[in-house]
Amino acid sequence: MIGSSDVVLDGAAAYPEIAGLRAALQRRDWPGGRALLDQLEPMARSAALQACAGEPGLEEFLRGVLAADVTDAAAAALLGHHLIHTGWEIRSGRYAEHVSSGQFHQFHDWLRKAELVLIDAAARHPKDPAIWTARLLTARGLQLGLAEARRRLDRALAAQPHHLPAQLQFLQHACPKWDGTWELLHEFARDAMLAAPPGSPHAVLVVHAHVEHIFGDDDTDVFRYLAAEAVRTEIYEAAHRSIWHPEFRHGPGWVQALNAFALIFTMLDDRRSAATAFTRLGNLAAEYPWNQIGSDVNAQVREARAWAYEGAA
Amino acid sequence: MRRLEVDGIPAVLAPVTGPAHAGLVFRVGTADEPLARRGITRLVEHLVTDGLSAAGRTSWTTGPEHTYFHVQGSPAEITDFLTGVCEALRNPPVARLATVRDLVQGAQPERDPLPMWRHGARGFGVVSYPEWALPGLTAEHLRDWIARYFTKENAALWVAGDEVPAGLRLDLPAGERQPPPSVATTLPVTPAWFTGGVGWDTVIARSPSAAVFANVLERRVRRDLRDLTTQTRTEYVPRADGTARILTIAEPLPEEPEAAHGGLVDVLASMRAGRIDPDEVAAVVKLTCEGLRDSESRGARLPGQAFNLLAGRDLQPLEEALAEVRAVTAADVARVAGEAYDAGLLMTPPGSTAEWAGYTAAPAMSETMPAGRVHRGRRDPSRRLISGAEGIGVTGRGVVAAVRWDSCAALLAWPDGGRHLIGEDAVTVRVEPTLYRNADRVVREVDARIPERLRIEMPARDRDRIPRPEPAPRDGVARRYAAAILCGVLALFFVSGGVWILTQLLAGPGTGNPRGEDLLALGGSVVFGVLFGRYSWAITRELGSRRG
Repeated sequence: MIGSSDVVLDGAAAYPEIAGLRAALQRRDWPGGRALLDQLEPMARSAALQACAGEPGLEEFLRGVLAADVTDAAAAALLGHHLIHTGWEIRSGRYAEHVSSGQFHQFHDWLRKAELVLIDAAARHPKDPAIWTARLLTARGLQLGLAEARRRLDRALAAQPHHLPAQLQFLQHACPKWDGTWELLHEFARDAMLAAPPGSPHAVLVVHAHVEHIFGDDDTDVFRYLAAEAVRTEIYEAAHRSIWHPEFRHGPGWVQALNAFALIFTMLDDRRSAATAFTRLGNLAAEYPWNQIGSDVNAQVREARAWAYEGAA
Repeated sequence: MRRLEVDGIPAVLAPVTGPAHAGLVFRVGTADEPLARRGITRLVEHLVTDGLSAAGRTSWTTGPEHTYFHVQGSPAEITDFLTGVCEALRNPPVARLATVRDLVQGAQPERDPLPMWRHGARGFGVVSYPEWALPGLTAEHLRDWIARYFTKENAALWVAGDEVPAGLRLDLPAGERQPPPSVATTLPVTPAWFTGGVGWDTVIARSPSAAVFANVLERRVRRDLRDLTTQTRTEYVPRADGTARILTIAEPLPEEPEAAHGGLVDVLASMRAGRIDPDEVAAVVKLTCEGLRDSESRGARLPGQAFNLLAGRDLQPLEEALAEVRAVTAADVARVAGEAYDAGLLMTPPGSTAEWAGYTAAPAMSETMPAGRVHRGRRDPSRRLISGAEGIGVTGRGVVAAVRWDSCAALLAWPDGGRHLIGEDAVTVRVEPTLYRNADRVVREVDARIPERLRIEMPARDRDRIPRPEPAPRDGVARRYAAAILCGVLALFFVSGGVWILTQLLAGPGTGNPRGEDLLALGGSVVFGVLFGRYSWAITRELGSRRG
C-alpha cells in the first residue's frame, strides 16, 4: 500500500456492516437493517448507528417503524442520531461564538426532538448502550451539564463496560470548550484506557485528549507541549497498550485508533511510527482528528502520509 | 374496630397490642388558611396545648387538611390531655399568646415549594409561603378561627385501646362540618416544570394502585439516584376530596444536581413507558400488606379512619384494605404511572430547565398588564409601574407581573412604603416607591383598594434591603457612542457661540451697544453650555454608579 495516494474517509470501507446498513436504509428495508444490527457486537452496533445518521430522509421512515413497534430500540437510537445529525449540520460544528442565534435555536429544536425519542427509548431499553451514546450527544448540545453527561456515560458503561462510542462522546464533553477541564479530560482518557483490556483500541481516547488540548487551547505552544517528556511517554505507552499490542484486532474502533496515532506520530515528528500506522491503515482514514488541523482532510492525510513514507523508504 | 360517638363527636375505637393512645382530629389545616392568616392553625394548636399536663406522650400536628392532638398513656392521662385541649379551645389562654407566638415563630416548618406553583397563593399552595401573618394575629383572629374550625361537628376521635376512657369529656362548641379545601390549579399545561431544586409531584385520584405506585416510585428513585443524592423522599398523601398527592424530593450531592435531575426525569419516563416490574409490584404489595397489619395492631390505621369519618367515608376494615392492595397489578401501576406523569410538576435545579424532556415551563409571570396610569422607573425608564381600575402591574428587567385588585391573596406592607401584592396565582407585584416616579400615589391607592383582612404588616426593613434605583443595563458601547456624540455637539454649539461673541467684540469695539444677534449667540451659548454640563454630569454619575 506504500505510495497509495487516495484517502478513504468513509467508515463503510473499513466496517462492512456500515455499508450493509446504509444499503438497507436506502432500500427502506428496516427488517434487513435491523437483522444486520442485531448480529453486531454492541460497540460495532453503536458505531454503525451513528455512522448512518446522515442518511437523508430517515425521520419519516423511522417514525413509521417506531409507530408500528414502539419497542424497537435500534430504530429509536438511529432516529435519535439522525435528528441530532440534522441539528448539528445546522450548528455547523463551529465554536459557539460563530453560530447565529437563529442557528442555535434550530439546533436546539432538533436536539430536543431527538432527546424526546431517546428518553422514551432509554426508559424502555435502559441496557442499550447505543441509546445512551446518542444521549451523550444531546446532553452536550442541550448543555445539560457535565454531571448529567457523566450519568449517561455511567449508564452506557453499565450496559457494556468500556463502551468506546460513549467514551468518545464523553471525552468531547470533558473538554473545556464544553463543561470540562484539561485535567479532567486527561484523567478520564487515561483511566478509561487503563481499565480496558490490553490490545483494545481505547488508547484512542488518550490521543484524542492530547489533540483536543493542542488545538483547543490557544495558549498551548504545540512544540513545547509535544516536547514534554510526560506527554511523549504517555502517547507511546498508549500505543503499546493498543495498536502495538499483539492483541490489537481489526474490531470496532481500530481505524479510529490507528488514524489518531498516525496523526499524533506525525506531530511528534516520528516518521517511522507514523509510517507503520499509515501502512496498516492502507488508504483508510477518519475525518477526526485530521479536521482539527485543517478543513481539507484529504490533503492533510495525503501530505502526512507522503512525509512519513518518504522518511521510511 | 368500632364506630361510636363521644359527646356528639364521631369516634372510632379499636383494641391494640401495645400501649393505649387516642387522638382528636379537626378538619382544618394549612390549606384552609388564607395567605394573610398563614400559620394561624399552628398557633391555635400550640396555644391550646400550652400549659397542659405533660403526663403521657403527647403530640400535635397541623397538616394540609387536618390538625390533630395525640396522646399515648393511661386512661387518666388520655382524659386529662384531650379534655384539657377542648377546654382550652373553649377558653383560649390568650394571655399566653405572645409567649406561644414566639415559640411558634421560632420553629417555622420546612417549606415545600411545589404547591405554590401548582395551586397558587391559595388553598394547598399557601403552605409554600412563610408564616408572615403570625406577628399580626390577634386573640380575635384566633377566636374566629376556632369558632369556625375547632367545633364538635368538625371533629373526630380515635381511641386505640379496649374502651373509651370513662372520664373523657369533649366539650366543644357547636359549629359546622367543613368541606374539603377547594383545589385550584394555576398550571395551564402539565407536565410542567419550574426551578427550585430536585423534585416532582403529581395529583391523581387516590386509590390503592396509586399508593402502590408511590411505593414503587420511591424504590426506583432511591435506586437510580443513589450515587447522586444524600437522600430521597417519596410521599403518598391522600386528600379528603378523593385525590392524592405524590411527592418526590431528592437532596443532590454538591456536584450532582444536574445528574439527579436527569436521573429523576428518566425514572419518571420509564414508569410512564410502562416499565413496571411485576416482581417489584408484588414485593411492594407484600410490604404494604405487612405494614397495614402492623399498623392495625398498633392502632396506627386509626388516624386515617378518623380522617375518613370527617370526610363522610365509611370505616375500612383491615381485611378490605388488604384485599384492595392485593388486587393491585403491574398493569394498574403502569396505568397510574401514566396519569401521574401527565399531571406532573417537575422541579429543576437552578440553571437547569426541563423543556428538553418535554415539560412545559409553569407560568412565572402574568400574560397581560392592566390598563392604567404609568409610573416610569427612576433612572430606568424601562421599568414601569401601572395602576388602573382593574389592578396593578410592574414591567421591566424581564419581569411582567400583574395582580387584579379582586384576586389579591395578600398584601405585604412595610413601614417604608414598600408594598408587595401577591396574586392568587402566586404572581407578586412589588411596588417599591423608591424605584418609580411619584409612586406614593400608587401606595395610597393600594392601601385603599386592598381590604384590611388581606393586609400583613411587615417589620421595618434594614436600609440596604430597600431597593435603590439603578440605571437600566443597556448595550454599553452604542450608548456611550451616542452620549459622546451628543456631548460633542452640545460642546461645539457652546464653544462656537463663545467664539462668535469674542470675534464680534474684537472686530467691533466701536459699537457700544450689543446687537440682537450678539445677544442671541450669547443666550444660545449659555443654553448649550448648561445642557452640556448637565448631560456630562449625568453620564459621569451613571458611570460612577455602574462601577459601584
